Amino acid sequence: MFSLLYRMVRDRALAEDLAQETFIKVLNGIKSYRPEFKFSSWIFKIANNAAIDHLRRKSIDTLSLDGAPSAETPDQVRATSLQLGDRGESPLDEVESRELGTAIERAIARLRPEYRSCILLRHVEGYSYEEIADTLDLPLGTVKTYIHRARNELRGYLDDRRD
Amino acid sequence: MTDLSMHLNTDEIELWAQGLLPAARAIHLADCSLCRVEAERERKVILELVQLPKFAPSAGFADRVMTQVKIPTPSGDWEQRPS
Repeated sequence: MFSLLYRMVRDRALAEDLAQETFIKVLNGIKSYRPEFKFSSWIFKIANNAAIDHLRRKSIDTLSLDGAPSAETPDQVRATSLQLGDRGESPLDEVESRELGTAIERAIARLRPEYRSCILLRHVEGYSYEEIADTLDLPLGTVKTYIHRARNELRGYLDDRRD
Repeated sequence: MTDLSMHLNTDEIELWAQGLLPAARAIHLADCSLCRVEAERERKVILELVQLPKFAPSAGFADRVMTQVKIPTPSGDWEQRPS
């Protein structure tokens, strides 16, 4: 669950805050848990909602180390990219840069948050399409569409990087 | 019933990447270079995703959470766990 939050918000301290918020909600609200629902799915649902709420509040869903997706020229990419080393990078920043700096992690960061949740639950957590639909309260067809689009976008980003 | 000459759809490509594609469709894949290229590209992305590392929160995380959890008392009330 922490991995999902960390990849959603790309900030270790913030992911820990959201994970803490999630566990407190789970443990304090255990009486509202419905046993017909998979327990881990319930936790992921609360965690994902916390991450999506945060991203909406802060409007950082398009934040990318590589610059804004709309950037078309090298100057635009430079102007909109995050420069980790140019304003006193902290040890935690360095850890995050190392942990989330690979091509695939950067590509995941460029996905829409809804696509990101689905693709992480499917291929990192190993959930079935049906479990993802239950966890995220989405129609099964929407989950399939999001995952296929997400994989397609990831392929595009990774192909661009290799060219 | 699936026409065996039809190209693989995305669900079938995912099944192939997991080693679960039915034999009849695998025959099409063996004969179709278009599907093989597409399936191989998809397999690479899926492989990169499933190999992503799991991350853990920092030490002391569980203790920090438990200090904020209310524990039920024998009387049925809730009390805050002392920090």
